[in-house]
Amino acid sequence: MKHEISTSEQFVFSCSLSSGLHARPASRLAEVANEFAAQCVLTNLRNGMFANLKSVLAVIAADVRHGDQCVIRIQGPDEQSAHASLRRFVEETLPQCDAPLAVAESIARNTTPPRVLQAAGVECSFGLPVSRGIAQGKVVIMNGAVLPSSSDTSAATDPQLELQRIKDAIAAVHKRIQEKLDYQISPGGAAILQAELAMVGDVFLAEKLTELVARGKSAEQAVLATGEFFTDLLRHSESDYIRERASDIEEICLQLLDEIHGGERRAVVELREPSVVVAEMLAPQQFLALDRRWLKALVLEYSATTSHTVILARSQGIPALVGVQSARLLLSPGREVVVDANRGFVVPQISSSVQRFYERERRTLDRRQEALHHATGPISTADGKTLEVAANASSSEELLLARENGADGIGLFRTEMLLMGRADAPSEEEQFAIYAEAARTSAGWPVIIRTFDIGGDKAVPYLNLPPEDNPFLGYRGVRIYTEHQELMQSQLRAILRASSFGNLQIMAPMISSLEEVIQFKAAISQAKRDLTLKDIAFNQNIGVGIMIEVPSVAFLLEQLCAEVDFLSIGTNDLSQYFFAADRGNSKVAALASVCHPAFLSLLKDIVTQIHGAGKWVGMCGEMAADIRHLPLLVGLGLDEISLPAAEIPAIKAKISALRVPDCEQLLSRAIVCGTTKEVGGLLERAQASQTAQPLLTEELVLLGSTSQSKEEVIQEIVDAFYIVGRTDDRHRLEEALWAREDVYSTGLGYGFATPHCKTEAVSNDSICVLKLDEPINWGSVDNEPVRMIVSIVMREPQNSGGHLQVFSTLARQLMNEEFRDRLFRGETAREVMTLLAQQVG
Amino acid sequence: MKIVAVTACPTGIAHTYMAAARLEKTAKTLGHEIKVETQGAMGIENNLTESDIRQAHIAIFAVDIEVEGRERFNGVKVIQVPLQEALKNPESIFAKIQRSI
Repeated sequence: MKHEISTSEQFVFSCSLSSGLHARPASRLAEVANEFAAQCVLTNLRNGMFANLKSVLAVIAADVRHGDQCVIRIQGPDEQSAHASLRRFVEETLPQCDAPLAVAESIARNTTPPRVLQAAGVECSFGLPVSRGIAQGKVVIMNGAVLPSSSDTSAATDPQLELQRIKDAIAAVHKRIQEKLDYQISPGGAAILQAELAMVGDVFLAEKLTELVARGKSAEQAVLATGEFFTDLLRHSESDYIRERASDIEEICLQLLDEIHGGERRAVVELREPSVVVAEMLAPQQFLALDRRWLKALVLEYSATTSHTVILARSQGIPALVGVQSARLLLSPGREVVVDANRGFVVPQISSSVQRFYERERRTLDRRQEALHHATGPISTADGKTLEVAANASSSEELLLARENGADGIGLFRTEMLLMGRADAPSEEEQFAIYAEAARTSAGWPVIIRTFDIGGDKAVPYLNLPPEDNPFLGYRGVRIYTEHQELMQSQLRAILRASSFGNLQIMAPMISSLEEVIQFKAAISQAKRDLTLKDIAFNQNIGVGIMIEVPSVAFLLEQLCAEVDFLSIGTNDLSQYFFAADRGNSKVAALASVCHPAFLSLLKDIVTQIHGAGKWVGMCGEMAADIRHLPLLVGLGLDEISLPAAEIPAIKAKISALRVPDCEQLLSRAIVCGTTKEVGGLLERAQASQTAQPLLTEELVLLGSTSQSKEEVIQEIVDAFYIVGRTDDRHRLEEALWAREDVYSTGLGYGFATPHCKTEAVSNDSICVLKLDEPINWGSVDNEPVRMIVSIVMREPQNSGGHLQVFSTLARQLMNEEFRDRLFRGETAREVMTLLAQQVG
Repeated sequence: MKIVAVTACPTGIAHTYMAAARLEKTAKTLGHEIKVETQGAMGIENNLTESDIRQAHIAIFAVDIEVEGRERFNGVKVIQVPLQEALKNPESIFAKIQRSI
């Protein structure tokens, strides 16, 4: 073999992205490569696949997964500068390109229906719930985006003409997507359109089309063959994510065909009544074409949890199941079905028992919702101190989630995501649409919008921020605003305009000095002046606040409080700057503990000073999301904490069990500890004594139950625990109670039964008392029917202050005839509770 | 008659104690002296001492699981029944005892 001096540049890298080189990072890489004339080829050393780096599709098809070693070879006139740019991009920017595209919450697949349905002999089709909810409708079977076979397409005429038809079609589709993008207000939807835009403009796609036309194919045939080529390539990928992208290519090809034909090629399904759409898979465009008034649920055979259609269904609140095998065969068109996307199955036929089960289920869900709504509006500690619990969010979808979870507002609406993963800055209009949506969705809640926090770990290539040795100590947050005036002004104008639709407030990140606050306020005044000149409405008195992330702020609070309306503590950055320890470096991250006595002392000082100045102070860092820290936060006397929406119900429930003096005392003791470990021990001991809830509350005394079977009674008990928030996992609790019943019946005779269990599925030891209107069979020892049920559920592992003594006394009392008689005669929940309190303790 | 008994069930929350209460009550009605040790979720309670066992004419095990410290009862006549029996028909257990002595 002859050795030649290589004139090409090359380098090796290992893919650090957890989902591999999928569409979005691939499109960013292609963008960089396209700036140069040199040929850039990527080789995946794991599977030996090559890809033209300038083609998103080719890069996706190379199936680069997490940890794969790849070589990039660059050859051509500007190879050296291309090498430098690509290498820098791959090493610095690419690892940060992976902001996940609202990945569907993963829920374990259920495989047994509730016992009530089992007892009724109902056969269900199971799937993975990817968008929650329960819906009923008639089955409409839809076929996915299927390309027509190439036989019924027209033959080629003049190659020049065919090529022109393709070019026109690409331009038209490009324009159409761009137009949709301009009106798209949800970041999730925009990301999908961005990905489609990248595909339609892909060089590999264009090359393939041109090549086929040159070989005598008609425009239509070329599009079909290209579609087949790419979908085939992607379907062979080992990554689910990339296989799912095959439907995106089909979608693009269908749109091109529509253009070439000048007409719609695919069957349009018109929904006329409440419908459940069943398909193998569904392209986003097909989903969007369905009439939302009648679309009640979606059932897909293909198990695609990150498909764009699934993301859209979630954001529009359409219950959806995926991975329902043979759904199109098992579900008959036109038949009424129930899609239970909470539990993860379809009930293919609605019998009277199914009807009855779901009527009861609806009441349970309504009552649970109502109970949760009791927790909306600021919650108070046991001794009456209010603490707002807000959510962190970055899209209108997350705002809805926050509302569902009982948030009191949005304590941190992040906006930097709007800048990331795209080629240029978002326009003022685009931003306005998002902030206005946030303002409208929030319906009067406060929404604190944090202006762009770029730099540090969040890179945005088109801002041309210089690479830094210490990005976290460098050019980031508010520090870049002076240089990027136009970007800032457009964001501030957009927020101000949206402020006339709801209670928006503005917050600046990374403040370290008074000058920055004064400049920030001047920028807001400038934006206000511009809007006033144009006669555009906005809230003149919009609240302006700052983040406390830099320790210097703690020593400047008097001056800063005079300038702002509110302050919010960002514990992630504050702790890493305070301890000079990088959170991202596992060797030192533990040093930056938010539970360190020094840090707690700093927080205490900050809150005291701010309250002394009569201003409002919240906390929006990760410290607020950890329920173990809650007593410390209550002890600090914060006005608000802001955390991921999913954590809110648990946090709210815990707040109402805490008392301010206890928490203040705990904090004082923590501050004088020597180490984080000591504080941890203190918290653990406090935790043990604070979680106790009463065994029985009025809501758990169910007199006058109309349940008709043992299955229904147990379901009703489980639902009662669910409604009051003592369990979130009804399936597990139900199975635990049945596991005990299956050993032998808990019917103890005399018309009494005591279903009981030990389980992790409840938050607290609990009792539920249920009295039936009509006796039912329980398989009791005396073969007599049962009317009185006393259910005992013990939490495992045990909380301290467990109730074993109470349970054993109750069990013994149930053997006492007089006690049973009195319990049976109890006519109100109060009477029953009083009796239990007297006799059992 | 002097009787000792042990009750134990799988979860140890309810039936252990219900059976104990039932045995105590029935024994009293029938004029026997009984001491019942419960082996439940709270651990062993109302421990049977060596002398309790030595003095007993008979031991009743109303259990669905293995008795802890079974060796303590070596040398004593034991009647073992499923726990449910103590709830369902405790009198029959005592009748059985009468017959066996």
